[in-house]
Amino acid sequence: MIPVLGLMAGLAVGLFLDPSVPVWLQPYLPIAVIAALDAVFGAIRAILDGIFNDKVFVVSFLSNVVVAAFIVFLGDQLGVGSQLSTGVVVVLGVRIFSNVASIRRHLFKA
Amino acid sequence: MTLLTTMMERPLDAGYQEATDRRIAAGLPGATSTRTVLVVVLAILIGFLFAVAAQSLRPKPTAAAAVKKELVTRIEALQKHGSAQESKVAALGRQVRDYEALALKQSGGTDLSGTIKALEVQAGAVPLTGPGLTLTLDDAASTDTDADAGSRPSSGFQEGRVTSGDLQIVVNGLWGAGAEAISINGHRLSSTAAIRFAGQAIIVDFRPLSRPYVITALGSPQGMQQLFEPSFAGLYLSQLTDEYKIRSILAGSDSLTVPGDPAARLEVAQPVGPPVGSTAPGTTTPRPGTSAPKRSASAGDAPTATSMATNGAPSKASSGATGAGTGSPASPTSEENPS
Repeated sequence: MIPVLGLMAGLAVGLFLDPSVPVWLQPYLPIAVIAALDAVFGAIRAILDGIFNDKVFVVSFLSNVVVAAFIVFLGDQLGVGSQLSTGVVVVLGVRIFSNVASIRRHLFKA
Repeated sequence: MTLLTTMMERPLDAGYQEATDRRIAAGLPGATSTRTVLVVVLAILIGFLFAVAAQSLRPKPTAAAAVKKELVTRIEALQKHGSAQESKVAALGRQVRDYEALALKQSGGTDLSGTIKALEVQAGAVPLTGPGLTLTLDDAASTDTDADAGSRPSSGFQEGRVTSGDLQIVVNGLWGAGAEAISINGHRLSSTAAIRFAGQAIIVDFRPLSRPYVITALGSPQGMQQLFEPSFAGLYLSQLTDEYKIRSILAGSDSLTVPGDPAARLEVAQPVGPPVGSTAPGTTTPRPGTSAPKRSASAGDAPTATSMATNGAPSKASSGATGAGTGSPASPTSEENPS
């Protein structure tokens, strides 16, 4: 419950402060959001599986974000930014779907 | 395929399982608490990230939108300017006509002013009032639904939309039913007015209209209604209402007004024969007063003009016309004023 409260607090702070994101950082934001979602759902699934580990959670989140951002950066440099972003979104999206399906099985036994 | 299989079957980070195995091997419980500082900090961070991303990625008013807005304001300003100029033209036309009448009176050609008035009525240059019919056409209530339920003449667009072709048929039907003057949404249909379309907009006399389309037709209300409803246009209209749910209301009234057409101007066309403009006020000695009507009678104008006049289509001669330059066939202005 406490991490959920932390999530809410972070949302509130972000909405309240409304910081302006520098332009060069903006292409990475959607990818970072998808990566964060993947890490969060992975963590929820791990909690339900009884194998949650905080260090793994943090490391998986950070590595997700860094790798995704790097791929987008690389794509920008190569001139194929949007295609590589699509690839990242597809891979992470599939993972999110599978994790959510597993969570659903845990919660609803269906 | 290995990649896809791995992705689909083991989406969870293998790290979780390995860490658990290590902890169990070390004699600790498999899962750590979710209430560690690390987790909470990361949760706050992720929430912050979501909020920031949502706010900064929300579509903002772009440069294109700003440009569009500016264009809209400019169009509106110019339209306002245009209508101001129109009313100025009307006022100046009234002045011109007063001077014209004065000059005619001074030069002894008083009977010419009656002719001019009759010709102006004929040319649609002055506002008219009288009994008539009001026909209101509007798009169907659901213009965005039913995409392709059939075809209809003159339309590649949405079914329930009033098209320029519909307006043309209806207006022609009203003329055929004996209408003496017609205006659509306050735009007088003169002899040079056209009903066309540009994209999805209906253009009458080069001005775009917006729905609903109010057609005002002067004439005997009962007679016109009796003639219009069984005519082709009337049947077409009821067909439109039945099949495409286009709304139409036909109402008679004892007192309707159609405005004059301030833009009626003949730029190129010239009267046959010697210019009638030689009778312009104050330029030459007055001809015998009957000569001008005779000449225009030879051009085929005067009979209708006089019949209009004797029909008693009442003219509000005092307002809203552009005077001598309004494209009445005998008008000299297109030669005098090259603009």
